[in-house]
Amino acid sequence: MTRFGPTIRAIRERLREEDRRYSVRQVAGRVGIEPAYLSKIERGEVAPPSETTTVRLARELGEDPDVMLALAGKVSADLQTVIRKRPRLFADLIRQLKEAPDEVVLRVVREVRDGNW
Amino acid sequence: MIVLENDRLEFRFPEVHAAARCSIEFQRTLRIPDDGLDYPLPPGLGSFPLRHLDDYAARLPEAWQMRGGVIAPMHQAEAMWINFHSDYPFAVKVATGKICAITGDSWVDRLNRDPQDYAVLPEQPWLDGYCVEEGVIRQFVVMQLGEGYTVEEQLTGAAVHGGLQLVAYPMKAERYEALRLEWGGLRDDVMYSAEPVLEDAMGLAPGGRMKQEIYNDPYGLDAWDQRHSSRCFVSLLNTTQWMAITGERPPIEPPTAKDYAARGLPWFDYYGGDARAVAGSDKLRGLRSIAQQAKTTGQGPLTDNETITASPVVALRKPRPVREVARDWA
Repeated sequence: MTRFGPTIRAIRERLREEDRRYSVRQVAGRVGIEPAYLSKIERGEVAPPSETTTVRLARELGEDPDVMLALAGKVSADLQTVIRKRPRLFADLIRQLKEAPDEVVLRVVREVRDGNW
Repeated sequence: MIVLENDRLEFRFPEVHAAARCSIEFQRTLRIPDDGLDYPLPPGLGSFPLRHLDDYAARLPEAWQMRGGVIAPMHQAEAMWINFHSDYPFAVKVATGKICAITGDSWVDRLNRDPQDYAVLPEQPWLDGYCVEEGVIRQFVVMQLGEGYTVEEQLTGAAVHGGLQLVAYPMKAERYEALRLEWGGLRDDVMYSAEPVLEDAMGLAPGGRMKQEIYNDPYGLDAWDQRHSSRCFVSLLNTTQWMAITGERPPIEPPTAKDYAARGLPWFDYYGGDARAVAGSDKLRGLRSIAQQAKTTGQGPLTDNETITASPVVALRKPRPVREVARDWA
């Protein structure tokens, strides 16, 4: 069993303490799945849902979609496409950075350039 | 630093605090009627695409290349709102055509408290327009520069900058740590000048009135780390330019307020608890809205501007109010 279901449940229940719209029924409705299915996901009785549902669930709960996909044991389709396009380059990059601290990784992330205005 | 992720600007300040990050996106929405009535908050219909300006620099004017930042496509007279996501406290300044959307003052690279010229995150979940009265804004509406509609043109008499400008300042790390202890770890997780106008450049103008509070800074100016900030210029392209420059199709035009209301889809109201709101800006209050400007300049009445009944209104509260609805419309 992955940590995906219990994590989703913990986040949803924390939100529900302050807002009733985060009940299983209402969250499932907004995400476009059956409440019974969401319950099973939360209890880990079924495998994590599809990428689309996982991303919708993450956005609904205000969480990072990539983090939720990772918890679900998935990598987003757009990232897979990027890697497949230049597999050697990106495989090498990821392996080289796998143990690097966050600030080092951030140094190779492309920044939005601020100009003169 | 700012990075672009899934059409969001992600602001990160690892040099200040590991948790110092916030993200900002621009939501598509319908244009509320500019008829003098106060409307509730319209929905979010999905985010506008954003791209690095540098990726298309060769096809853009030199003055645009100087700005850096990102580009976004918007239809003429389309409305938008700014969606903030943050757990870490930030002070964020928003300007259009380098005029502050909260005070109406010209852009300066620092925070001012009197009057407050910034929004405080996470208290402020959204910004939909120009702060014209306490608890009332005029919606951001995209108009072509050079026609006299934009706030920049109305206040400076010139159509030079257009677009939208942002700067974010994180809270000082020590203040944040003190707050975390306090929170108990709960939040862990005119005449227009003859200056050259950029060809078909777009700016933002004041549209219809909407009920929205810009919250007073509860922490004080000293809480913000003004030694660290990140800025971004968002240049706006019309949809024809966007397709020619990026080769991508822009989002379709949003529904009219009349069509949206006819379907009985939701509008929103937000309760920020006990938070106080800043007073509106006299400068911004005195501006002509797009409907008033169209009438003044003899351009005829604004289209799709019929008064509507905005109902139902859904009440939203902290901690994570969501306004994005109706994916079919996006």
